[in-house]
Amino acid sequence: MASTVIGAGIIIEGEITTDEDVVVLGTVRGKLSAKEAVTIQAGATVEADVAGGALAVAGTLTGNITAGDRVDLQAGARVVGNVKAARVTIADGAQFKGNVDMDV
Amino acid sequence: MATNVTVIGRTTRVRGRVSGDGDLQIEGLVIGEIVTSGNVTIDTHGIAGASVRGKRLVVRGAVQGDLLGEEAVVLEDGARVVGDVRAPRIAIAQGALMRGEVQTADDGPAAQPSARTHAAVKVAASPSPVRVASPPAKVPAASAVKPAPAPKSAPMATAAPARRPPPPVVPVLKKTKGQILKKKER
Repeated sequence: MASTVIGAGIIIEGEITTDEDVVVLGTVRGKLSAKEAVTIQAGATVEADVAGGALAVAGTLTGNITAGDRVDLQAGARVVGNVKAARVTIADGAQFKGNVDMDV
Repeated sequence: MATNVTVIGRTTRVRGRVSGDGDLQIEGLVIGEIVTSGNVTIDTHGIAGASVRGKRLVVRGAVQGDLLGEEAVVLEDGARVVGDVRAPRIAIAQGALMRGEVQTADDGPAAQPSARTHAAVKVAASPSPVRVASPPAKVPAASAVKPAPAPKSAPMATAAPARRPPPPVVPVLKKTKGQILKKKER
């Protein structure tokens, strides 16, 4: 359903900008800016600052996260970086190192 | 199924290099080199701003850069390509627009065209002095029998006698060329 998919095995080095949903199964280095949902699936590697509407992370992410709506760090996720969003959940089994800013 | 397919959606813009394994479907904009071991499809609204390398490339959108297909390159209706296309098999459908060099099979890449141009330059340069000196002597000879005047310059002489008939034009060109060259040298 998602309109943009970074498949497993694909490496993008650079800047990605989009108005639609993004699913990452491969590797992204650089910057990822989306307006809608961003899903970083298990097995994916993202070394980039990520911005989006709603972020779900199950893979490896190194970089700062900014979400307009929410951030969900799911079990198996490995995240190093700061998280800024109105709502943040960190599931049992997610590894996380960084600051959380929930606009309090 | 979809795990190994990468889709760059309509509103997605990528500035940077896209590489790796798996198929690519580009409906948005990619400004940067694309290198994959899988197939690449550049859809109607897709734009690739740099070279694309893959197994089988299908283009319905725009490409500014070279297309290199390990198996094939197919330019379909609506394709706009500015760049060289190289693949064992190449198809250009009606309605596809392209500007660039097309080369099927896996011959030597950029080295060949440059070698040809060098050869062309040499060919153009060498016969000119010969013609300046020879036209009056050869014109009657050519009208009589071909083989006689040949030995003067080996491969060019065979082609030269056929061109002999309009000699007046050639010397005029040479004079102007010589003058221009001399002026540039000074």
